[in-house]
Amino acid sequence: MKAKDIMEQVKDHLSPDDTIRDAVNKMRVVKRDDGIVGVKGMIVLDREGNLVGMVSVKDILKAIIPFYMTMTELGEFTWEGMLSEMTKKVADKKVEEIMVKDVITVPEDAPLMECADFIVKHNLQRVPVVDREKRVVGIIYVRDLYNAIVKVLLNDKEVENI
Amino acid sequence: MTQVTQEAAAASQPFVMDTVFWTATTIFVLAYAVIVSEKVHKTVVALFGAALMLVLKILEQYEAFHVEELGVDWNVIFLLIGMMTIINLMRPTGFFEYIAIKSAKAGKGDPMRIMTIFALVTAVLSALLDNVTTVLLLAPVTLLIADALEVDPVPFLIVEALASNIGGTATLIGDPPNIMIASKAKLDFMDFIYNLTPVVIVLMVVLLVVVKIVFGKKLKTREELKERIMQMNEKEAIKDPLMLKKSLFVLGLVLVGFVFHGTLHLQPATVALFGAGLLLLLSGTHDPHHYLAEVEWPTIFFFIGLFILVGGVVKVGLIKLMSMKMLDLTQGNLFATSMIVMWFSAIASAIVDNIPYVATMNPLIIDMAKQMWPQEAGLALLRHPDLMPVWWSLALGACLGGNGSPIGASANVIVVGMAERAGKKISFMRFVAYGFPIMLLTVFISMIYVWLRYYVLKF
Repeated sequence: MKAKDIMEQVKDHLSPDDTIRDAVNKMRVVKRDDGIVGVKGMIVLDREGNLVGMVSVKDILKAIIPFYMTMTELGEFTWEGMLSEMTKKVADKKVEEIMVKDVITVPEDAPLMECADFIVKHNLQRVPVVDREKRVVGIIYVRDLYNAIVKVLLNDKEVENI
Repeated sequence: MTQVTQEAAAASQPFVMDTVFWTATTIFVLAYAVIVSEKVHKTVVALFGAALMLVLKILEQYEAFHVEELGVDWNVIFLLIGMMTIINLMRPTGFFEYIAIKSAKAGKGDPMRIMTIFALVTAVLSALLDNVTTVLLLAPVTLLIADALEVDPVPFLIVEALASNIGGTATLIGDPPNIMIASKAKLDFMDFIYNLTPVVIVLMVVLLVVVKIVFGKKLKTREELKERIMQMNEKEAIKDPLMLKKSLFVLGLVLVGFVFHGTLHLQPATVALFGAGLLLLLSGTHDPHHYLAEVEWPTIFFFIGLFILVGGVVKVGLIKLMSMKMLDLTQGNLFATSMIVMWFSAIASAIVDNIPYVATMNPLIIDMAKQMWPQEAGLALLRHPDLMPVWWSLALGACLGGNGSPIGASANVIVVGMAERAGKKISFMRFVAYGFPIMLLTVFISMIYVWLRYYVLKF
């Protein structure tokens, strides 16, 4: 099995010009394959469809925490309501400013071990799968790889050669 | 050779404008031009220029490393390293956050009062630590407080930068120009306290009055927002009470050491290194790598490169030539020299980094002194009573000039960078609108001070 065999379809993407508000809305609307929860991360494509970044819920959290709090220990001196104040402040910030720009991808014919190695080494939740022209054809989530492992251990006859 | 005979030899050394002279001058001028242009990082320029001086044999390596008037001033280098190490060990204790939150509470959440207290705290900390460290430690808390009070953080940040540059002027260890001047002119900590601290206190009072007039009416907040500040518990900032006690003990010891270093015949670098060594020992750390790696090595190497660059042009006689020109200009009138040095230093420091400026001015003033008092040498020359006001004018001009523009001092650069990251861009002209008048005012007051104290009242 290869990356393309377990990857999930890309349902939607963000554009660099989207605001954080747009991003949050898209991520809430787009459902994962189970159709229950919104996605926790999305790829960012430019107008030509090139992959230029990724945004996860954690990136949005990071955008809401004022930078000065990362410079020193000020967590004890925050106040009730600060999170919502800061959220309103950054709501119109562009996705471009908060996205992770150096996106790690895997080729569509990469073996699953390569995908697992990448995900663990770079501490990722998801990794975009690209074709030879570097176009995104799908996304592999940690859970997809985990499912592959589950199948091996609990039902090994059905899935040989993983 | 002893130091005295070496200096005498250097003074009487004739120079010719040969290839070596022009090579050294070209390297020096080009290096300074590239540093000002900011096309290449200043540390890279200084180190490469210094390496050229050595490779081309303008300066022998021995001279660069071991001859006091030509090479690296290790007293400056190790004083900086020592103090930076102490601060690196002290920072994680949360002491500075504690001071900042306590100050905000002492201001009862009132923006104007907080601004005044922060300016004073910044000035005092800048006098005892370096300005960059002080601003780096206080600015994050300032931004938090401004968010809590829903006021514009920009005036706070600018006032802190101004206060930091003024406060840093007060002591030997407050600002790099003072460290360099002290080492070159063999001035001790108490010389700075007697001669510069009084005028700095006056300047701070003036700054606070101006700040009150300019911002007094604009800075307002709502009562319920003040409550946010009052509910903060500064004690929660302290992360490591034991290490804090050790740090304060060592910092106190170091300050006492500075006060008495002249009497005890200990160089300032010795005091700072002793403090750094002692605090490292007391901290019980098994990983000194972390604290030592956080020393601002690019700054340290910038100094090293500059000293060698300047050493090259001192050796070939460029600096002496410049000092002769200056003597021509002033006709040996020392009051005129003091005033020219002060104003020229202020303007120069507002435009360019004051560290390379002072590195060049120090040997220039010594060369000038050698021509004025050829019979004197050593301490008698460096600390000639008529020369002292010139040193103080250089220190006042170079330090206070930093307020003139956003690139005039490292503290300003930091503050502007922080404001930009907070989404509040401080334009070049907005900083100049506050900084330049304050620079003119403080240098003007310093001018009156130098004139009154050293040329009229003479004490």
